[in-house]
Amino acid sequence: MPNGLFGTRGLKLLCLVLMLTGCNPEKQWQLQEITGHLPDLRFSLISDTGQPVTDQTYHGYLVILFFGFTNCQAECPTALFRLAKIVQRLGVNANRTRILFVTLDPGRDTQQALHRYVTAFDGGHAIGLTGTDSEIENLAKRYRAAYRPKKPDSDDIVHSAAVYIFDTQGHARLLVTPDDTIETVANDLRHLLDSLRL
Amino acid sequence: MNLLQWLIPWEASFSIAVVTAVTAIIFIRGSLTCQLLFRQKLYFGAGLLSLYVVTQTQIDYYAEHEFFVHQLQSLVLHHLGPFFIVLARPKDALSAGFPTAGKRLIRWVSGQKPVQCAVKLLFHPVAAIIVFVGLLAFWLLPSVHFIAMLDWRIYRLMNWSMALNGLMFWGLALNPDLMRSPGSRIAMMLAVVPPQILIGALIFFTPHELYPIYTLCGRTFTGMSPVTDQQIGGLMLWMNAAMMSVVGILIVIHKELRQPIKFNN
Repeated sequence: MPNGLFGTRGLKLLCLVLMLTGCNPEKQWQLQEITGHLPDLRFSLISDTGQPVTDQTYHGYLVILFFGFTNCQAECPTALFRLAKIVQRLGVNANRTRILFVTLDPGRDTQQALHRYVTAFDGGHAIGLTGTDSEIENLAKRYRAAYRPKKPDSDDIVHSAAVYIFDTQGHARLLVTPDDTIETVANDLRHLLDSLRL
Repeated sequence: MNLLQWLIPWEASFSIAVVTAVTAIIFIRGSLTCQLLFRQKLYFGAGLLSLYVVTQTQIDYYAEHEFFVHQLQSLVLHHLGPFFIVLARPKDALSAGFPTAGKRLIRWVSGQKPVQCAVKLLFHPVAAIIVFVGLLAFWLLPSVHFIAMLDWRIYRLMNWSMALNGLMFWGLALNPDLMRSPGSRIAMMLAVVPPQILIGALIFFTPHELYPIYTLCGRTFTGMSPVTDQQIGGLMLWMNAAMMSVVGILIVIHKELRQPIKFNN
């Protein structure tokens, strides 16, 4: 009977190590799972229609949170375009989904500008959010997104590429990266919405 | 941003503030009764202050959003800060400044068998080398690093573990009270150099992004590409690992040369 590292005992040890390191062959999500690692959705901001909104306003919806600004040349329009396509693919579930676009340039992005911008991508499901510098900084900090108030003489705005997915209870669940395909994201969101219905 | 704004903690930590303040008070109290050299006070102050500054100022924001700044923060937490604290030989001052009840508690805790076993194991030179390099490698594993930079609790655990491990390792390597043999102490410092150079070189030569979390959460220096940031970070580990050990070894040799030679016959 072989024993040692390559024998039965070795195999048992390997299984234990794989279990401990979380090497699960049946991965539930294709996207990066962040359940338990980021705090629940919590904010108090102003919507692009001028209404004060909080996380409670979107309770019961699957929330797709994204930070950006309307003057952004490449990343923000691409991300919003992708998100709008993803929501379209959800079919009937699209009504249970909201894209929240939080501006990192509250000085320049007025409510009207935000409204025009987000409705150009997805009028039904996307909402632009704005607030004071400190309100936006607190929200960005909560989700570890880079944010520095813009200098008046500079057009440089630091921003994150991550899209955060919160379930209908406001728990942070998944992180979408620019490399994830529209199909992958739509599949996982559908899967998440189905699991929440149970 | 003016200087005062720089001093505002990015993510204020009550435990870091309390531990830093209490340690500083104990050391100052002790230094009033102990005869300390100016150099010792300077080293201790610089070490403690550097640990505080890299975690409790706006530097922490940049460390969260740029890999090479994170590496700089790790360098201070794991190497530079603990190195200076140990170099100050603060044991006598800290012991003199400690309240009597606290001293009794420490004596009781250190008298416990499991504690003695753990200390014996952790302060074994081989274990110290493995833990020092292992901890550094563990936090730099891409999957671990991803979660550590995202989850603030794991992020703090990472920073605390690096600083405490740094104190243990350099305490053992530089302090003759804990391990007498200068040869063993020099060997310890030499042993940690190749693995750190290897990890630094692996990071430096990787042509793709190993740590996408910085792009996802947003990089603070928009003009720098992710791979350049990664290369600078890798290079820092590569160079500084060797540098700190060389400085440590030179200090040990210098101290040994100043000792009077003992003849057995």
